[in-house]
Amino acid sequence: MKRLTIFLFIALFALPIMAQKRYDEIEYPELNPINMPEIEEFNLDNGIKFYLVEDKELPLINVRVTVKTGGLLVPANKTGLASMTGQVMREGGSENYPADQLNTLLEDNAAFMSTFIGFGSGGASMNVLKEDFETLLPAFVDLLQNPAFPQEKIDLAKTQTKSGISRRNDDQQQIAGREFQNLIYGDNSVYTRQTEYETVDNITREDMIEFHKNHFVGSNMTVGIVGDFDTDDMKRKLREAFGSLPTGSPTNLLYPEVDYEFETTINLVDKPDVNQSYVTMGHIGGLRENPDYPAIQVMNQILGGGFSSRLFQEVRTNLGLAYSVGGSYGSNINYPGTFRLTTMTSSSQTAEAIDAILAEVKKLQEEPITEKELQDTKDRFLNSLVFRYDSKSQILNERINNEYNGLSQDAFDELVEGIKATTIEDVQRVAREYMKPEQVQILVVGNKAEIGDQLNKYGNVNELDITIPQPASDEPQEAGDAAQGQEWLKKMAEAVVEPGTDVESITTVGDQTINSPMGEISVSGTVTINFKENSQNAVLNTPQGKITINVADGKGTQKLGSQEFPMPPAQVQQVQNEIKRSYMSIAIDRSAVDAEYMGTETIGDTEYVKLKINFESPVTYYLDPATSLPMMSTYSQFNPQAGGNQTVKTEYSDWTTVDGVTYAFVTTTYADDEKASSSSTESLEVNK
Amino acid sequence: MKYTTRSTAILLLMLGFLFSFSGVQAQYLEEFEEKVTEFTLDNGLHFIIIERHDAPVASFYTHVNVGGVNEPVGNTGIAHIFEHMAFKGTHYIGTTNWEEEKVAIDNMDQAYQNWLRESYKTDPDSALMEQYWDEFQKYQEESKQYVVNNEFSQIIQQNGGTGLNASTGADFTNYFYSLPSNRAELWFNLEADRFKNPTYREFYVEKEVVREERNMRTESNPIGRLIEEFLAVAYTAHPYGRPVVGWNSDITATTIADAKDFYEKFYVPSNITIGIAGDVDPDQMKEFAEMYFGDLREGEPAPIVTTKEPEQRGERRFTIEGNSQPIMLIGYHGVAESHEDFEALNLLGNIISNGRTSRLYKKLVEEDQLALQVGAFNGFPGSKYSSMFLTLAVPNMNVELDTLEQSIYTEIESVKEGVLTQEELDRARTNIRAGIIRGLNNNTGLASNFASTHNNQGDWREVFLRLDRINEVTLEDLQRVAREYLTKDNRTVGATVRAES
Repeated sequence: MKRLTIFLFIALFALPIMAQKRYDEIEYPELNPINMPEIEEFNLDNGIKFYLVEDKELPLINVRVTVKTGGLLVPANKTGLASMTGQVMREGGSENYPADQLNTLLEDNAAFMSTFIGFGSGGASMNVLKEDFETLLPAFVDLLQNPAFPQEKIDLAKTQTKSGISRRNDDQQQIAGREFQNLIYGDNSVYTRQTEYETVDNITREDMIEFHKNHFVGSNMTVGIVGDFDTDDMKRKLREAFGSLPTGSPTNLLYPEVDYEFETTINLVDKPDVNQSYVTMGHIGGLRENPDYPAIQVMNQILGGGFSSRLFQEVRTNLGLAYSVGGSYGSNINYPGTFRLTTMTSSSQTAEAIDAILAEVKKLQEEPITEKELQDTKDRFLNSLVFRYDSKSQILNERINNEYNGLSQDAFDELVEGIKATTIEDVQRVAREYMKPEQVQILVVGNKAEIGDQLNKYGNVNELDITIPQPASDEPQEAGDAAQGQEWLKKMAEAVVEPGTDVESITTVGDQTINSPMGEISVSGTVTINFKENSQNAVLNTPQGKITINVADGKGTQKLGSQEFPMPPAQVQQVQNEIKRSYMSIAIDRSAVDAEYMGTETIGDTEYVKLKINFESPVTYYLDPATSLPMMSTYSQFNPQAGGNQTVKTEYSDWTTVDGVTYAFVTTTYADDEKASSSSTESLEVNK
Repeated sequence: MKYTTRSTAILLLMLGFLFSFSGVQAQYLEEFEEKVTEFTLDNGLHFIIIERHDAPVASFYTHVNVGGVNEPVGNTGIAHIFEHMAFKGTHYIGTTNWEEEKVAIDNMDQAYQNWLRESYKTDPDSALMEQYWDEFQKYQEESKQYVVNNEFSQIIQQNGGTGLNASTGADFTNYFYSLPSNRAELWFNLEADRFKNPTYREFYVEKEVVREERNMRTESNPIGRLIEEFLAVAYTAHPYGRPVVGWNSDITATTIADAKDFYEKFYVPSNITIGIAGDVDPDQMKEFAEMYFGDLREGEPAPIVTTKEPEQRGERRFTIEGNSQPIMLIGYHGVAESHEDFEALNLLGNIISNGRTSRLYKKLVEEDQLALQVGAFNGFPGSKYSSMFLTLAVPNMNVELDTLEQSIYTEIESVKEGVLTQEELDRARTNIRAGIIRGLNNNTGLASNFASTHNNQGDWREVFLRLDRINEVTLEDLQRVAREYLTKDNRTVGATVRAES
């Protein structure tokens, strides 16, 4: 303290003489000692381990429960079960505290409770004002022990999860993170599994109850409590509250090995609505348990750790190529991490940024770092260590996390010693040994049109399909009779197109009525469908004016007045599928289709023959045995708005024959039994 | 008193509740009166020191009363560009020879200004433009040879600095980081130096970094695009309608001369408040403050924003067609933080959308399952000037935006009919009070909260005194502000929709 006063005195005295003291002329006093809190530990007979730290600064108490469980344990066809179980535990309330009652109780007291299950761990937490602790602790324990899992909350969680799935391709970063993991661990790996519409549908209430029951048991639990309490008193309360939890059996988390083969690939996800490329590149990383772990951390800091790193300096500050850039060789505790370099840069600079980043990795391998760089990096790490102990909850959390991950209590101190001992040679050695810039997989999520051919120099660009998988068809997959199928197919074809008639296209003039949320909309017009070319041209008179829709060669355009718009690919696909599925198309080229006779079905007074035509998504025609003409067809199609399949049914009537072609002049289409559209034809021409 | 009747017991309980409510406020205010030391230097620079001796660390927070709203027309984004420049060093940090570097920087800026002026002509001379551009690049290269990259940030990090960053909003710019508390003097030294001696080093390269930040946050992000468009539609006159990151062409048009001008006007001591929280001695902090900031030029008071948003003449609506799933914003023009209705609108947003018991959550998320997410809050995009009460809605996948929108209006209409209860109001108050308490346990939060509150409301005590105003808001007030502000004519509705639909 005396030294400090003298120093201050000198500084003040010196002020009028010195214009501005340089930062490196400052002398720092000793740092005040760090007060390490006492962590009180005890165990219950049912296996629960408790860690307590008193912190009287604010009248709050925080409880954090860590549970040994995780999504890792869930079978592939139920991916999402763990996280949804974690969600519904809280959302659904418990037996004694139903959701609405619990929510009111908590919010009236400004208290928080949460539950979660992640990939490799699960848990729950509660944060309350200390005066409410005793009232709320029983509710918290009941939530852990007896969650109610009401069906309506499970349905809500499913709806929300599916909405989340439908949004997963909206954000570049999310796409990049997911697809890069797929490249490294493979898309069938437990480490990359995605929750899909179908896996959500597969999850039942019983699955959740079972999953919870197996894992939320005493032998899997660690509880940390920090806040304004008296330790002895708290221990008594905890014993009482947690004592009734079953011991259960400890969960065994087995992390499968990763079999990685180094390869060089260049991959692209096209996202036409962005002007920046999200670049991720790298390869497999390593494990935490590795004598080189401290040296690798020093290397990571120099390569990509924040404002001082080489990537930041070069790619951002010097070249101005990116706002965000970084990279590190990742070391996980239970399975290999990833070596990953990332940046976001304008489309036109994509290759420049990739090259600049890889050059920095190579430089780190080829040239030793400077003594100053090493010392600065160590200083940065060692001088900021004090922040590791700047709150009691942080100290408690580190202790519990080490325990959970099987790390020794002094794991961090060992890292500190390792970093202190790291040399310039160590950094170069680990840079050479662990990073392979010549064998990286590159992933670019960006605007393909703007990027152009920049990526070709890295190899054959592999364009990734990130279409969200739709649930499998709900229709039963029974097999029918193929021979009879061919027979009925021939009968239908000959009823629709008279043998000897060569039909290439048909042109119809008529009205179409579409049922929309705004009511019925009617348009009249002329539609020409060419079945050989799978193309369609429609000229429609709408209230907005004449619209021309043209689909040909796998592309589509819409023209309104002099303005022309491209049609989205999904819509073009839909038009083409409709043509392919139509009875006319089937009749014209029946040798190309595979048909099955599925028996008969009586609808109204008539017994119809069911003829299933096998496309990617099959369509079933209901034939009138007397005329062999289809009276109805059904197929199942994915509706992205609903996140599920819907049944599309079309009824055909007013059959009229023109130039050897028999055509239904009136059709009505229903989606899930709701009328969606209808059409009536006034005239028809063949091969116009 | 041994016996009480039932009704007096209830009355006592209610009184007790009110007492404890203002009691907490008084208790904390008293506690912090002891921990807080305030002083203002002769040049007008204000300091708030909050002692917290639990751990030998401290957080430093500089709040500058300047943001996107203060930018001149044609230079949107300049507050943010200046914020980036504040990390580029000083006259001796980040350079090997400032005297020579400065000459190169001045020449570079002159060449850029020439190029810019030529490029805006109706018939620009391409040979001349090329000549100016070559000149600009030559000087840029020349200036680069003196640069010591990121030295300023590195000094902080080598000394154990953490959480080093800055941000720019519509109303403010702030700079902050934490240090081991024995190194407090380093913060004074560096902070005073960077705001006394800005260099505009690497200005034009950094503008490209800023442009990439814009690309990331706005151009390539569906929500960013929606918000930028929303503000541009909602505001006709007031600068809240302009993007803080700046329009792309304004980023191009901004020169070092513009940035200098901006700095001269707004980075004056009377426009800056500093908060320091942690294991520090206030007397020593005051000595350091005099020593390092005492000679910061006083300057003229910063110019003020005079434009007021005119009354809206009718509902405004727009949609952005794109490839992403739909999101909707509904905003109503409201009031500034200084207005007596501000807290009532805050409470209203809190009551209808905060927590699982709130009306919007219960009805739209749980019962009808229309929304994946819904929220309402007051004070967007700032609070210094008349701002907006904003509702954000993310529909579930089988839900039409129209259905969701109508349901939100139904809930708002019911509030106007007086459907809110005392229980809901009390609950919101309790949660706001607890929220304030929870915010008191970390240095960064304390320093930023106290300094920004002083800047915006003239006194850090408003952190706690705000509870008095919240206590005064009645159910009738909530009904009245809903009727007054949440009207169709006063509304802007914007959404992203899928191109196919």
